[in-house]
Amino acid sequence: MANSYDLIIIGGGPGGLSAAIYGGRAKLKTLVINKGAIGGLVNTTREIVNYPGYGQISGPDLMKDFKKHAETFGVEFIKGEVTQTDFSQAEKKVVTKKGQEFLAKAVIVACGSEPRLLNIPGEKRLRGMGVAYCATCDAEFFEGEDVVVVGSGDQAIEEGMFITKFARKVTVVVLHDEGILDCNKVSAERALNHEKMEFIWNSTIEEVVGKENVEGVKIKNLKTGSTSELSCQGVFFFVGMVPSTGYLKDSGIEMDKRGYIPVNELMETNLEGVYAVGDNRVKYLRQVISAAGDGATAAVAAERYIEEVNDFNSNVLQSDKKVLLLFFNAQDNESLKYRTALEELNEKLGTDYKILSVDMATKKNLAEKYAIKTIPSVVVLDKGTEINRLEGLEESLERLI
Amino acid sequence: MSLKQLRTAGFEEVIYDNGEPCLVIFSRKDCHVCKEVVPVLEELQPKYENKFGFYYVDVEEDKALFQRFSLKGVPQLLFFKDGEYLGKQAGKVEEDQVEERIADILE
Repeated sequence: MANSYDLIIIGGGPGGLSAAIYGGRAKLKTLVINKGAIGGLVNTTREIVNYPGYGQISGPDLMKDFKKHAETFGVEFIKGEVTQTDFSQAEKKVVTKKGQEFLAKAVIVACGSEPRLLNIPGEKRLRGMGVAYCATCDAEFFEGEDVVVVGSGDQAIEEGMFITKFARKVTVVVLHDEGILDCNKVSAERALNHEKMEFIWNSTIEEVVGKENVEGVKIKNLKTGSTSELSCQGVFFFVGMVPSTGYLKDSGIEMDKRGYIPVNELMETNLEGVYAVGDNRVKYLRQVISAAGDGATAAVAAERYIEEVNDFNSNVLQSDKKVLLLFFNAQDNESLKYRTALEELNEKLGTDYKILSVDMATKKNLAEKYAIKTIPSVVVLDKGTEINRLEGLEESLERLI
Repeated sequence: MSLKQLRTAGFEEVIYDNGEPCLVIFSRKDCHVCKEVVPVLEELQPKYENKFGFYYVDVEEDKALFQRFSLKGVPQLLFFKDGEYLGKQAGKVEEDQVEERIADILE
């Protein structure tokens, strides 16, 4: 089928592109579905100075290199927004807004995050009329004007400093006590000493005011509870990000209440063959490098999973002979010897079973599928259907055959 | 198909003299939201061939145009018909929002 892949990666940021590089190199038929420009949020970064091997590079340029790299391994790219998924079958289905359907054995969720909205009056209505979320895009429109920046993280402070190149004055509204900014220390020091930057502490914004364009903001002091109005022509919101995982709400993937997906160290979600990386998962550090690492891990985990599924389909489910699946642990000698015992018995009775060993350490999914609790365990399958099983060493092998 | 660029010089003619119903997206090269919205318009364009015009203005190349409409950000879609300015849509607009607006104008 033309729309059938080994691996589908939703999202073309650093996590998705790294997964694509690993997937492509492992000769998986890999598709990246990306809704905007390749690179995702990294595109909003003018300068990256901590990605190893690149002393200094712009976000979009770094992402172009990632994409080029993925293309050398034969990865396919398609533009589209995934709006629906069905992960309940072995072949997972992904549907775009335009109704295109794609199937894959494994899916990596790497669709990043988007700016969080404060949902205060005026914020939505005056968007593009003075309310902004991207300094690179919009700072220039505020030449010689007064701008308010909400937030004190890296993005808020660094973007705020960029805006001072154009604006007359940048006022930063900060939740914390005087002198405390959430951003890195170098930027904090520069910002606090910046002649065009002012700070309003212990405060947040309650409303953006203006008829056609932004005329000011209502600032609430959280300590005193008092509200004051500050006149300005622009407001830039940098109040954190939310993961763009809303479309997965009914997919069966577990998420926390903010929309982040918990994964294990293999980037596996609660659903078999579905992985989440980068800004979509619960994690400590949200940087290009850590997203890239996640992508690599997920792609390798997906590759092994796909191999497992393929193997299992051809050797077990489509086998003409009955199959004895022996679940063992390579570190457990008793369970290793069990294989020999099974072989001997098979020969002695002339039963011609196909015997397959499944290492619990690497074939976790299979162990889960057959709900294996003790080692060794043997499951007897006839054309994929379980007809008998034996758990632990105590039971006699003869009962099985 | 890529959108036709309007420069300050040609703007008058296309928008006011011809009076064709159309939209103009004001964008810039390094704006990531623009990069999401422009492809949406490029895909819509063929569907409205000869009925509705699609143009773009690069705000870096033609500063005078964005100043004239006192825009405060990109991307912004400005809608025109019979040389009359009918309003705008700002930020990350979705395909159906644009289509709804076009339908209103063509009615």
